[in-house]
Amino acid sequence: MITAERKPLEEILAYIKPFKRILLLGCNECVTVCAAGGRKEVGVLASGLQMSRLKDGSSIDIREHTLERQCDPEYVEELVPMIDSADAVLSMACGCGVQQLAMRFRDKPVFPAVNTKFMGGSDRHGVWTERCQGCGDCLLGLTGGICPIAKCAKHLMNGPCGGSAGGVCEIGDDVDCAWHLIWERLKALGLTDQYMEIMPAKDWRPAGGGGPRKIIREDLAE
Amino acid sequence: MSFQKRLSAKEFVVLAEMHTPKGVNITRLVNDARRIKGRIDGVVIPDMDNGIMRMSALAGGVLMQQQGVEAIIHVYCRDRNRMALQGDVLAAHVLGVQNLLVTHSEDMSQSDHREAQPVYDIDEVELIEAIDGLANGKDMGGFELDGTPSFTIGCTIAPYGDDASLEEELELARRKIEAGAGYVLTPPVFDLRTFRQFMDKAGGLGVPVIPTVFLIKSLAIAQYIANSEPGANISENLIRRIRKSSDRELEGIKIAGETVAGIRDLAQGVMLQTLGWEHKLPDILDAAGM
Repeated sequence: MITAERKPLEEILAYIKPFKRILLLGCNECVTVCAAGGRKEVGVLASGLQMSRLKDGSSIDIREHTLERQCDPEYVEELVPMIDSADAVLSMACGCGVQQLAMRFRDKPVFPAVNTKFMGGSDRHGVWTERCQGCGDCLLGLTGGICPIAKCAKHLMNGPCGGSAGGVCEIGDDVDCAWHLIWERLKALGLTDQYMEIMPAKDWRPAGGGGPRKIIREDLAE
Repeated sequence: MSFQKRLSAKEFVVLAEMHTPKGVNITRLVNDARRIKGRIDGVVIPDMDNGIMRMSALAGGVLMQQQGVEAIIHVYCRDRNRMALQGDVLAAHVLGVQNLLVTHSEDMSQSDHREAQPVYDIDEVELIEAIDGLANGKDMGGFELDGTPSFTIGCTIAPYGDDASLEEELELARRKIEAGAGYVLTPPVFDLRTFRQFMDKAGGLGVPVIPTVFLIKSLAIAQYIANSEPGANISENLIRRIRKSSDRELEGIKIAGETVAGIRDLAQGVMLQTLGWEHKLPDILDAAGM
């Protein structure tokens, strides 16, 4: 999933300072799962904004709504009847959703209420860690299902650096050395021969090195 | 008189661009520089221009200084992060290179190492600010330097296709100047009438403007530029002149020389760009009466 964290209230208040009528939008997908921008968080943020404005002696009219998916034009269309009654839109979706709204409603200011963080998964309740950087050329089949790009601080492709000790990365005690994990996993699977293969210098074009990326499925595209 | 002093004294400066080798054979670079030593005010050394991996501009700049030719080296953001850029900038000062030209860079997808990861940790405006910061004794992290370098920083205006993109480029140039750039290098000039119009707008930048004069080596190159870069203003008349010439190479040199001579009254300098034909630079200077 795409993970996110809510922005500080002060930053959000600064964005919407000139506006009185706000359409506050959540998203039912990733940001709901990581508890950053779903229906519940929309309600909490709306209350916080109203209280802050009241404290400042000004009023604000916030309409709350949560879309099934903000990154999907089909769902964004359901905002058409309510968009005109808002001076500005505040989105609690990831950056994909915010941009979808900005593209669809070009004459309406759209502001992000969350910081989009990374593609990751849940380690335990309330803890999410990065798992994938979308490099466009997945190597997990060679590295025991552990990504050296997302999980190694230096994105090393051919084994650990000299900085790891006892399976821990040099950047901090709470960060595992990705290559230690990969080695242990390959050993357990009896696939250590894979480790001995030297990986060539990575082609970063699929990772975005060649500019903004796009997928066109000819069988689906209209 | 140094390049910086000539700029300050509002003297006309003549620069020539020379590329480092793709390899370590520096014979041609050094010989080309020696040929024009004393006739120009500085040699501009691009760094992996057009995305071609070459010997670094810093080494090329040092070679120029060793020949007694003042060097102006490109610095740009595609291949180095802020630490590497600052480190190279400090090295440039220590090795005697005082002139830095902050440029844009060809996208990695257009380079001869298309698989490489582009860096773009900072942009051109931020790089100029960073160099200015180093010259004021602090790095980008806010840490004080042990010994402060000094530089003459230049910036570029990228080729533009229409008035709207020219306005954008001029606005960007203003920001670069505000950040610390002391002169501006423009795209190639092929038409003095449109260059006059350009100078009516660029004159307000408040720093010396140095246009590029590009040596047209063949009819095909002239036609290619005319078709692919509408903002270059290569006229039908110019193409006809080259087509009708019995010696097209010589015609290209004459055109470059005439353009340089025409620019003398319009700008504060000129940069000659010959892209591999640096041995023709003396001929262009002759044709320009310099």
